[in-house]
Amino acid sequence: MSDTSGPRREAFEAEALPHLDTVYRVALRLSGNEAQAEDLAQETMLKAYRSWHQYKPGTNARAWLLTILRHTFINEYRKARRRATEVDVSRIESFTVFEDVQETDPEGKFFEQIVDEDVLRAIDRLPDEFRETLVLSDVEGLPYAEIAEVTEVPVGTVKSRLFRARQALQRELYDYAVEMGYIKRRDE
Amino acid sequence: MTDGQRSIDCLEALDRLYEYIDEELTPVRAEEVRRHLEKCAPCLAVSNFESAYLKFVEARAKAREAPEKLRKRLLERLLFEPDEPPGS
Repeated sequence: MSDTSGPRREAFEAEALPHLDTVYRVALRLSGNEAQAEDLAQETMLKAYRSWHQYKPGTNARAWLLTILRHTFINEYRKARRRATEVDVSRIESFTVFEDVQETDPEGKFFEQIVDEDVLRAIDRLPDEFRETLVLSDVEGLPYAEIAEVTEVPVGTVKSRLFRARQALQRELYDYAVEMGYIKRRDE
Repeated sequence: MTDGQRSIDCLEALDRLYEYIDEELTPVRAEEVRRHLEKCAPCLAVSNFESAYLKFVEARAKAREAPEKLRKRLLERLLFEPDEPPGS
């Protein structure tokens, strides 16, 4: 029996391995730290390999891998996640940051001064279900239907979570930009 | 107006804005939003701002790849896995 170039390994390397970056990035945002993200990503890929016979060739390998990742995270890693103070997404109203900046910076140039780490830290403070929805959509570019499949909720729920997650994150980043002096608050 | 297309107001346009930017609307519904934005400068400004914001988030958060040591470790681990599923 060949261990290096059998049909299963070939199929897995062609269809699953190209999604390793996505699996790792999502694992990183779910778990909140690099060491756990590596373990979580590796465990996901090994589980996927072991149950490769359940995957239907030519269907959506990315959604299948992300579903395994999400279940592994919930069952084995979620309890260990260190909780930062969570952003409040309950009182989100529409496009309020734009209202605040429409006269001073309608193109949102202040965003460009905020560096990667600060954006990631703000994403990490979103509540779980909002964070995962935003990451799958806005970082990985999954369509709503695929996010609904992976997170096991109706498409309508994906839409409403995405709206609140985006607006809450935008408000966080705006408040941070004000604090850092990248932009002046409207009433100042 | 064809294909059930109709004129929509600001409230409706903004309500669909993210779906419009995300290309999740049907062609008819997307065209209604596009036409509204064409003649409504305030809504167009919101749309441009939100599009810029979403591009910014993606650029900032996507700049990471799986570490090379993870890729190597995974490929090594796969060598120890049988090529056929158990029981086949």
